[in-house]
Amino acid sequence: MSSEAAPASRAVGVALVLLGIGGTVTSLGIALDQYGRWGARFFPLAGSIVLVILGIAELWSAKRSSPLDRRFWPAIAALLALSIFYTWSISAFGYLLSTAVAAPLALYIFGVRTPIGLCAAAVLCPAIYHGIFFGLLGVFPPLGRWFDLLDVIGGY
Amino acid sequence: MDIVAGLATVLGNPVLLGWVFLAAIVGMIVGAIPGLTASAAIAMLLPLTFYMEPLPALAFLYVIGKSGRYGGSIAAILFNTPGTAASAATQLDGYPLARQGKAGKAMKVATISSVIGDVIGELLLIIGVAWIAVIALKLGPPELFAVYFAAFVVIGSVIGKSVTRGLASAALGILVAMIGLDPISSTERFTFGSFDLTNGISLVPLMIGIFVLGEVFTQIEERGAKPEMAPTRDQDNTRNALRWAEYKPCLPHVIRSSFIGAFIGMLPGLGSAIAAFVAYGEGKRRARNPGDWGKGALEGIAAPEAANNAVSGPSMAPLLTLGIPGSTIGAILIGVFLIHGIQIGPTLFLTSRDLVFALFACGLVGIVMYGIIGYFGAAYVGRFITRIPTQVLYPIIFLTSFVAAYTSRGNMFDVYVMVVAGFAGWAMRKLQFNPAAFVISFVLSSGAEEAFRQALLLGDNGLTIFVTRPIALVFLLIGIAAMVARVRSLNKIARATALKDA
Repeated sequence: MSSEAAPASRAVGVALVLLGIGGTVTSLGIALDQYGRWGARFFPLAGSIVLVILGIAELWSAKRSSPLDRRFWPAIAALLALSIFYTWSISAFGYLLSTAVAAPLALYIFGVRTPIGLCAAAVLCPAIYHGIFFGLLGVFPPLGRWFDLLDVIGGY
Repeated sequence: MDIVAGLATVLGNPVLLGWVFLAAIVGMIVGAIPGLTASAAIAMLLPLTFYMEPLPALAFLYVIGKSGRYGGSIAAILFNTPGTAASAATQLDGYPLARQGKAGKAMKVATISSVIGDVIGELLLIIGVAWIAVIALKLGPPELFAVYFAAFVVIGSVIGKSVTRGLASAALGILVAMIGLDPISSTERFTFGSFDLTNGISLVPLMIGIFVLGEVFTQIEERGAKPEMAPTRDQDNTRNALRWAEYKPCLPHVIRSSFIGAFIGMLPGLGSAIAAFVAYGEGKRRARNPGDWGKGALEGIAAPEAANNAVSGPSMAPLLTLGIPGSTIGAILIGVFLIHGIQIGPTLFLTSRDLVFALFACGLVGIVMYGIIGYFGAAYVGRFITRIPTQVLYPIIFLTSFVAAYTSRGNMFDVYVMVVAGFAGWAMRKLQFNPAAFVISFVLSSGAEEAFRQALLLGDNGLTIFVTRPIALVFLLIGIAAMVARVRSLNKIARATALKDA
């Protein structure tokens, strides 16, 4: 529940206008239907134009806003990089190996420094998640394109 | 009568009761952990429910939503940190009471008020929902689109601190929902030549990203902060006993706030935080002791708690009758209905009437369960939470979000979607956009577009059909009026702040 209004920001306004213009151009490229009507274009176009209008409104009332707190940005960037790497590595090396690497890294980013804890996470996390989701629930695990530990230890 | 049959179904099924009991505990704990919300828990657990029967799956998530709303009050009272946005109003009087050594009394008032509010909301839902469904069946495409339009505008403009960013969040939700093939003409939209994008963006990974991974990103900024609990020692028993004479003055506030919460719950997108603050303001205005509010008045806990829990039941009404989720939890439940092949909307009461009333019965049983657990065990839950190391909890949630996103369709593309949505969710919170408006608009878009295009065909491609049909016109005006009122109120706040600063 808001108790105060958020100040409008120039950067947000510019971003909305650019997104809106991009959306508008792309929407105008959507093919018309067989009767030459705009059917499939209406909603994407309306959404994009609304974004442009809202961006202009944000720019119109823009004030100097207080700078964002950037102290935690390195940790945020590290977690984002880990997220992307983890997703890619699941496709490349399968779930078990990727999770064995990602689990201690995630704990490290969140401030866990105990070597035993990090090692335990590397072993327990893949085993527990694999057991619950791919064992108990019967979901077919994502297999690694290049290498998969499941091929070595056998079975799913 | 349907609800009696529903209750018989639930009470006669021990497995179902077990799921409801588990949901009551899980929701309470998750709601009480500062930073985690019931929406996050539901989004994360959603893929697990795909492997369950429809009723246990829906009941499990529905009751987590209910007890999660209540669980927020535990954190608000004991830790001076609202577990959910909805319990921020409870904190105003709850924490001062806890500081006086009356945390147990405050928790009992919160529990009883939550239970009463939730039961009233649920009963209003049970009584009213079938009537709303009958009316909904009579709405044509122009009226339906007008309802969707009002929902978009209300969701975008009323929640949050900025109307432009709220509406922009809703517009972004619409644009993301447009990715893929047009359902009518199969024309590609925003696919940029990617095969994966032709299937569109799936709801489940999007929600896991926004509500779960996004929260993990946010929690990095809270690393190392440990919640400090107000004293709840046993020797405070005399001070913490709640007598009838003490609770009696709270009752009128509880009843009034329950109806306020139920009404706000029926309106799409407003949710329990707004209900709690409106009920708190209204309660303080009518109170005999307004000077005590904010310093530890029991009524100041009772009013917002009754209101925020009364939202839960009625927020299901627009979801079940029109397919319009009234809250983020409703938006997530759509995923469960869809995966189990249940078509939501007015015909739901013709096709799956037994299931719907059994779900309501599960809601009632869940309320009783979290009420009993909370009344006797809230302090234990509080102590349990102080022992959970957040530097371990959030990495576990981080890892779970990946496997949960994959599990929904067994597709790695969904995991990438989840990662992008997670970062976007964090950025939206940081820049004061509105993630809830984004997700609800994403869910609403397909229905709104279908109604819009059907209405255009009915009106021979003329937009005038929306203003010549009275009900449609009323809903369009409601949307515009809500936006104008919100802009005016924010301008008033901005002017007051500027005057204070001058």
